[in-house]
Amino acid sequence: MTDQFPVLQIDGLSAGYGPMRVIHDLDLVVSAGEKVGLVGLNGHGKSTLFLAIAGLTHWQRGSIKLNEKQIGRNRSQGPGRYTHQIVHHGLSLIPQGDEIFQGLTVKDHLDSGAYTKSAWRNRAGRRKEILQIFPALEQLMDTSVGRLSGGERRMVAIGRGLMAKASLYLVDEPTLGLAPKLGKGVLEALFDIELGESAMVIAEQNVALLDGRVDRIIGMHVGKLKGEAAASLAYQTKREI
Amino acid sequence: MDWSYVIINAIVLACIYGTLAIGVSITWSSLGLINMSFGFIFSFAGYGAWLVAQHISHNGVVILASGILTGALGGVIVCALAFIPLHDKPNFTIRGMIATLAISLFGTQALLWYFGPRVKNIPPVFGYGSIKVFGSTMTYDKVGAVLTSILMLTAVLLWMKSSRRGLEIRAMMQNPHAASIVGIGVRRTGFYVMAITGGLAGLASVLLSQTYYLQAFGGITPMIKGLSVALCGGLGSVTGVVIAAVILGINEAMTSRFWGGQYVLITQFGLIILILLIRPRGIAGILDKAREA
Amino acid sequence: MPTWKDPYSSWDPTGPIDEIPTNEWRSPESSWDAAREYKVPTHPVGRLRYYYKWPGHGKSLWNRLRYFPTRRTVLRFRGEYNPKTLRRENTIIDKRPIWWMLGFVALMVAPFVMPEGNRVLLSAAAVFSIYAAINLCWTLVIGTAGIYSLATYAIVGAGAYGSAYLSIHFGLPIPLMLLAGGLIGLVFGILIAIPAVRLEGFYYALLTLGVVELCRVYIIQSKAFGSEIGGLYGAASYIPEAWDEFAQLRLGYYAAATALVAALVLFRFINGKRLGRLLRMAPEKREAFAEATGVNYRVARIQVFLISSAALGVIGAFYASHFRGASPNLFGFDTVAMGLAMLVIGGLGRAEGAVLGTLIVVFIDRVLIDLGPLRIVLIGVLMLFVVLFLRGGVFGIKAQFRVWRDKKKSENRSARAEKGGEMLPEEATEVRDKDELAFRRYDKNQRDFLKTLVSDEVIEEFKNKPLGQHSEALERLLTYFRRQPMVDKYAIKCVEPFKAYQIVALSGISGVPPRLVEDKIYSSREDAWVGVFTRRIQDLLES
Repeated sequence: MTDQFPVLQIDGLSAGYGPMRVIHDLDLVVSAGEKVGLVGLNGHGKSTLFLAIAGLTHWQRGSIKLNEKQIGRNRSQGPGRYTHQIVHHGLSLIPQGDEIFQGLTVKDHLDSGAYTKSAWRNRAGRRKEILQIFPALEQLMDTSVGRLSGGERRMVAIGRGLMAKASLYLVDEPTLGLAPKLGKGVLEALFDIELGESAMVIAEQNVALLDGRVDRIIGMHVGKLKGEAAASLAYQTKREI
Repeated sequence: MDWSYVIINAIVLACIYGTLAIGVSITWSSLGLINMSFGFIFSFAGYGAWLVAQHISHNGVVILASGILTGALGGVIVCALAFIPLHDKPNFTIRGMIATLAISLFGTQALLWYFGPRVKNIPPVFGYGSIKVFGSTMTYDKVGAVLTSILMLTAVLLWMKSSRRGLEIRAMMQNPHAASIVGIGVRRTGFYVMAITGGLAGLASVLLSQTYYLQAFGGITPMIKGLSVALCGGLGSVTGVVIAAVILGINEAMTSRFWGGQYVLITQFGLIILILLIRPRGIAGILDKAREA
Repeated sequence: MPTWKDPYSSWDPTGPIDEIPTNEWRSPESSWDAAREYKVPTHPVGRLRYYYKWPGHGKSLWNRLRYFPTRRTVLRFRGEYNPKTLRRENTIIDKRPIWWMLGFVALMVAPFVMPEGNRVLLSAAAVFSIYAAINLCWTLVIGTAGIYSLATYAIVGAGAYGSAYLSIHFGLPIPLMLLAGGLIGLVFGILIAIPAVRLEGFYYALLTLGVVELCRVYIIQSKAFGSEIGGLYGAASYIPEAWDEFAQLRLGYYAAATALVAALVLFRFINGKRLGRLLRMAPEKREAFAEATGVNYRVARIQVFLISSAALGVIGAFYASHFRGASPNLFGFDTVAMGLAMLVIGGLGRAEGAVLGTLIVVFIDRVLIDLGPLRIVLIGVLMLFVVLFLRGGVFGIKAQFRVWRDKKKSENRSARAEKGGEMLPEEATEVRDKDELAFRRYDKNQRDFLKTLVSDEVIEEFKNKPLGQHSEALERLLTYFRRQPMVDKYAIKCVEPFKAYQIVALSGISGVPPRLVEDKIYSSREDAWVGVFTRRIQDLLES
């Protein structure tokens, strides 16, 4: 693999809640244009990893670099204090179990995702692009999101995450709680996105859905990455060129 | 039976208190801060407008604008002193309330010390004439009060609906955690919110000072009335506040007409307690939990 | 240049005694001491809890002075045997009764130590006592019952006005005035408590604020309550008019001090006994737990509220008879704000906080009266400062400092931690074999020390003589390397005897073959040994 620009570089990250450590000495590099799948059971640290990158939980040791810029620090400030700055550096987090604004309409929701000035100015255009990816949202543009069903909400949340051109997309369990067909549809939409210089990390429990469609699959077990180290593990796959 | 007079009075009062109440409601629901220093911002803006009237010009628009701007400035100061240091510390709600109370305490005293205890007068913004509406006379200042407050409120609400900052404020009202994920910074939005609500308080101050004199402690009663209207209407929804303002305005006008001014507050609070007993969240409170910052 | 003499070279009588250059000697404990040093600047204040040990008095601990008929001792002692000094010694577990007793003595003796002829101080002291009593009841409501009621002054004012009115128009004697005040306070409290059942914390606080304002406006405009004179005056007072001024002031002071002591006793009896305990089980976040256990905390809250309302009414009546009347200032927003300032500065929720806060605020307000309105600015700024920076007011400083210091300590430890070094607490709780913790710590220290031993001389010495007796520094290094666990330990594979050797790493698992570390082939055993040694030194320096 050619030496690409590392969009995300994590060194020796240790994160945890209080006395309990969830992530132990994690090293991860994601290069530009890559789609990485992160698989593992619940409770093994995938969500914590994403939250730590976004600055929403404390982490104790290590360093996280987004676009070669060190983000976050391991002093214990209030969690979430610098998150909006990290987002402005080029991160788009689509969290587990959609965090939605109940009272806003779908249109407002999508608009709220456009956090850069250029994205805000072109928001109508971006919205059209999102509608091409998720055509079912066309009719629902003016309903308040609190009234939508689970699948529609997931589409809105993902659409919101895609509105601004971010360098790193972190998608946390896009198929959680969805019917299988819907889940597949959502994942297909994600896979079809043209990344360009950005990178995407999709955390998913169901390996079969990711098979063959991503560049790398990494397994996460009890807070440590397992798939990258030994070549002999069957989980590591490469995309056919 | 002077119904039209009563109704007109009610509308005027509802407009003015509604302005304050919407400010309180927006601050509470988007920042989680109960702004007890509204009274201070109120008198601060009033004095600002008075200074402008003394030294710069007597033009109505200038006075109104200066009142709004000084109010916004006051709001920003309060935000910097009380909201920014405390918003991510534990027990933020109480501490914020006590901090704003402290600001109100020393702010009003500082105003008293600087401007002296004598009441001041702001020249009328809308002129001295009057028009006949529905068979009763309405002085220009009442007309002006109603029109300006409705205009400003509509402007604010429109801005909140269409601009990015307004969207940020509305998003923070719903879900602050998700707002930070989408790149909405709590502190910057806090400054915007406090500036806007301070401006609203400044507007209410200039409008009210057409009828009453301006003094350092003059902001306390309107603030408490505004707080109760916001409480009654439900913190977090503009519709509820408007409805509550109308109801309480009608109540105040009718009570002062039939029973005399001293019983106004009693009936107000009786009504508020009644409404709150029936609906503890207020008339249209959309937040089903008191927002935890 | 220090040298080491090889002792075995002395067996050879003909050859010279080898002197091999080696390192300066360092004590192996030096790195341990350096690591254990605590580098965060800690000041003597609050560094270690120091308890003075009173010498034991030979009498058995159970034969002590007690408050009859309870079995409660005057001071709680803990008696231990000190094996170093071979004596019994006692420690006082809780020194707070001593401070309260000293405060009480100060309260009683105060008028006699004040400068003679100073009216301001004495009257300020009386005012302090009354406000402190009010604030204690308020602390009961806010701290113990957890109801954020700002209507305290409304109740006090109602009690004051009511009893003053009754005294003026119906000539009630003073004891009946107090009783009437209590009843009025109770009724008011019931009225205000009804919304508390339905409303949540902040909504309720705003509502009570409105109630205070309501009372103010009503009283100001009501003729019966003296709107023209600006207050109701002429109530009966326990201070006889016939006495001279200082005697009057002193009597007033002592009466107010009695009221304060009564309020303290009330606080103690409610907070320390059954109701307080029930309510401590049900703070904001754990109400569900209390409910599940069957504790009826709602009723307890209302009970505390009503008791304190009645007490406030009594204090209001006392206020009326002390000042011979009541004025609408009691209902002002400023009074409420100052009362809250008193509570906040001292520490919300604690009796000592209420008293101290009142002392500070009344001092600034009444004694420093020359500053004019600036003194209230000072109080406001102080209140803002306390709310912003001190969690829990003046009396919470100690706990806050300790928490901050622990946070700094753990941050330092985190910053010091390395991969494979000493374990952090979050790792330590997960590891099964706890001996691992001690081992890791010891290992880290040893490696730090060994790193300082590595030098060119040592490597030269090894290259010249791989086997045999070595100098101390080299000996320590070699022993450490040879004691490594088998996993990933270097070994030498003989490719061709006496001609080709390679370095391999053992797997440590039976049945798994060692892996090749590098392709380099060494031509002799000594070279291979030197190669392994170099690799190990490299790994040591990198770890």
